[in-house]
Formats: sequence, C-alpha cells, structure tokens
Amino acid sequence: MQPALQATDLTRVYKSSGRGVSGASFSVAPGEVFGLMGPNGSGKSTLLRVLSTAIEPDSGTLKIGGLDALSEKRKVRAGMGLMVDRPTHYDDLSGWANAYFFARAYGVAEDKADGVLAELFDYFDLAAYKDDRVKTYSYGMGKKLALVEALSHGPELLLLDEPSLGLDYTSQLAFQRKVRDLAGAGVAVIVASNQVDEVESLCDRVAFLSAGRIIAKGTPEELISSVKGVRRVVTTLRNPVEYAAVEAVLGVQQVVPEGRDLVVHCEERAGIVADVVAGIVRSGGDIVTLSVERPSLEDVFVKLTGEALKDAN
Amino acid sequence: MRINPPDTYWKKDVTLFFSKRFALLIKFVYPLALIVPVAASDIPAQYAAAVIGIVAIMAGTFGAGESLTIDLNNGILARLALTPLSPRRIVFEVLAVNAVLDFLQLLPALLIVYALHPAPMIWLLAATFGVFATLVAANGIGIFIANFTTSPADVLLFATAILFPLIYLSGFFRNQNPTGILETLRGFVPFAYMNDALKAVFGLATETAPLEVFLYPSLICAVLVAAVLFTAPRLLTVRA
Repeated sequence: MQPALQATDLTRVYKSSGRGVSGASFSVAPGEVFGLMGPNGSGKSTLLRVLSTAIEPDSGTLKIGGLDALSEKRKVRAGMGLMVDRPTHYDDLSGWANAYFFARAYGVAEDKADGVLAELFDYFDLAAYKDDRVKTYSYGMGKKLALVEALSHGPELLLLDEPSLGLDYTSQLAFQRKVRDLAGAGVAVIVASNQVDEVESLCDRVAFLSAGRIIAKGTPEELISSVKGVRRVVTTLRNPVEYAAVEAVLGVQQVVPEGRDLVVHCEERAGIVADVVAGIVRSGGDIVTLSVERPSLEDVFVKLTGEALKDAN
Repeated sequence: MRINPPDTYWKKDVTLFFSKRFALLIKFVYPLALIVPVAASDIPAQYAAAVIGIVAIMAGTFGAGESLTIDLNNGILARLALTPLSPRRIVFEVLAVNAVLDFLQLLPALLIVYALHPAPMIWLLAATFGVFATLVAANGIGIFIANFTTSPADVLLFATAILFPLIYLSGFFRNQNPTGILETLRGFVPFAYMNDALKAVFGLATETAPLEVFLYPSLICAVLVAAVLFTAPRLLTVRA
C-alpha cells in the first residue's frame, strides 16, 4: 500500500541558530496514527513545518499521497488537515465565520459547508458559541475551533501539533475518539505531542527527536519494553523543593518537576524507592501522595538521551 | 451574494471592515475631518489638492502595510498560506479589497469637495479615478513593505522612506513645475496624475489632459500590481 506520507532524509537547518532537523526519514501509512515526541529545541517544530509544506527542506524528499510535496504544494495542501500548536484566528469574526472561511478555502462546496461544520461544532461542544467572536473564546475553545478547521474538508493526512494541550478532559476524550474514528476511516494522522499518556494510548508508532535527529522509532510497546528495569516514582509534594539530594541518590537517572509533582526516573534495585523518599525528605519535601509506575515513553526518552521530554518549568 | 460568513479573503475583509462599528465611524469621519475644512477654506488650490493626496496615500499605504504585518506576526496569514489557495490570489484580494474599502472611506469627503468646487464632469471623474489609482498604488506599496517589516513601527519607517521621494516627485508641495529628469520621473508616479486632476477640480490650470489621468496611472498600477503579486509567495512564507 502506498504510504500516506514518505519522508526521506529531510534536512532543514536554520543558518542563524544552526538548529533544525537533520536526516529525518519515516513513513506513515493510511489509517496510522504516528507520534512525534521531543523536547523544545529537538527539531520537532521544524520537522512539522517541513511536513506541512510551510518551509522547504535544504535536502531530502517528501511525498504525500504519492505527490511530491515540494513541487505540488497546493495539491498536497488540499488533502492535508493542519493544526498548529498556537492556533490563530480572525479574532473579530465569529467562530463559525472563521471555520466557514477555512472550509471554503480548502474547497468544501458551499452547499455542504454548513452541514459539515454544524456536525463538527456539535461534536466539539462549540455549537452554543458559534456566533460569538473568537476574541471571547478561551484558549481551549480556540484549539477546538482549530480542530474543526483542520477536519472540515475531510483530509487524508492530519498534522496536529500539541492538539490536546489546553483542552479540558472531556474535550481531550472527544478529540481522541475523533482521531481514532478518522484513522479507522483510513486517514493518516501525525501527532506532535509530549503528552505521554495521550501518545501511548493514541499512536500506533512513535518517533523520538533529539538534537534535530530521529533517535528512535517504533510502537509504544516496543519502545517501552526496551527500558525494562526502570522505575518511575511520582510524588506529589505539599511544597516545592530543591531536589539536588534526590538526584544524588544512587540509581536515579533524572528528576523532573511537573507542577506539584516530582517525577523520579530511576533504575530498578532493591530499596531505591525508600532511598528516593529519604532524599525528598532530606530536601525538605512533604510528600502528600506517592506512586511507583510502570515505565512510560518519557522513561524511554530519558534513557536514550538523558534529558526530559518536558521542560522542568 | 452572501458576504458573511465569508468564503473568500475579500469577503472576510469586508465583514471585518463593517463589524467594528466604532472603528468604522472613525474610518469614515477622519477623511471628512481632514479634507472638508481644507476644501472649504481659501488656502491655495495646490495645497488643498495636496492635502487630499496625502490623506489618500497615507490611508492606502498604512492600511494595507500595517494590517498585513499584524496578520503576518500573529500567524494567521501563514496559516492561510497553507491552504490550497494561491498566494497570488490571496495577495491580489488583499490589494483589491483594501483599495476599494479605502476608496469608500474617502468618497464622502470627495463628494463634498466636488459640491464645494463644481468643476467639469470629466475632471471630477478623472480626479475620482486618480484617487482610486493612488489608493491601488499606495496599497501596493504597503503590501511590498510588509515583505520586510516585523512591526507597525517598521511600516511607518519604510513607508516614510519610500513615500517622501514619491510625494516630492509628484509635485504636491515642491517640484510643481519640474524639468529634465524630475519631469520624466514624475510621469512614472501615479500620485502626480491625481494631484493634477485635483488641482483642476480646485480651479487651477494643468497641462495634463483628463485622458492621461485615466491612462497612465492604469498602466503604472498594472505594472505595480504585477510586481506585488510576484512577491506574494515570499510574503506568505513562514518567517523562520
């Protein structure tokens, strides 16, 4: 079967910073949900820009739906649904007017646009706000409107950058259900996200990016099974602490604060949980809850690169 | 024809134009406030014509340049550029709709000028066309400037650098009877033809024939529009 997207040796490096993406090769099949994960500066955004045809690579080839995405941009764009990480809209137009404008720009027929959009506005619980100006929308509503705009023309390939970041829980579930439905109908989906739970549950395959290169790819199960012997200790603290003492515990690989949680990636050895707890207490931490979890994609990334997927702050 | 919800860029701009009532009021009032007192006063005709010309040039250049720069900065134009729409079509619609909307803003003031200074119909039509051609050219310059600007302040700087020499060449204030190279260059500036037509409306004699006011600015604007459309793919490219 012809891949929905075939990227071969894509390289795009910004002259000003020397950063970007180098030698990225992967393919996405119709009906497949493919995840891209990587911390800030890993080249994820650059790669997405190249895949979306927003910028051209310095070298490499990109085929989308069998078309050369570098020379047949407009045809490729017609079959692509796109949601950028910080969606922008015409703030003084209503949500409906924005969505209608983009639907028609993507070629949705005038007599079908109203029906298609009504269904999507209903699905994402935006129907009650469709006539409100977008400047009155919350961040999450703006993201949902961007999803409507990405989906209205029935794309064959969806590129979604941090799609559920900022969505409430119900909307996240609705989004995930919609992605699964679309994939079931043969739509290829690329999701760039560092929401570990979401990527694990949604994606058929995942690629990790670090320092501009794809350093690993595979199914979530394959990747996670490669880090047997790793534990993830998640503690919720009553107060923020300096955690140098935790990092110094023998076998601790990485400590990542996430809000009031302290996530400790460590080797599996007898007594390590007790040592981590002791380290937190020595640091002045007052533990409210503690759990020891199975390894996640985050642990895989930490093991591969020694850095966390998410920024410490 | 349904304007709202919009299904093209120009309808989107028209919808936005009429959606903000207070801004709309100001857009229509400021040309009146600037032009009508001048037209009603007894200042020399060439300066009255110059004021109208300056208002038209500024409205066109800053309107398109600033709104485009803002849209480029917040990412909406880059997003729009990733639709299957042709960048040249988008930029053409930006240019055309801005010129027409700017013209609508100036039209009431122009009509009052014509009422205060009755002139032969051919000169009234020529002046009206000259103003429209000036707006097309000014919007074209504004769009061209947006290729290089990252903020509205940049637009002001670049516009000043480009417009001042053109205004000088057009003979609004100085260079009213140019010779040699200045005369030749003046022939390539569409603002000059509007200035001559407006002077005629205010009762001054001019060597320019009404037909020239229709013909030459049309040709110059056609070349300018083609040049601006040539830059469209670059203008709508994501600024890395």
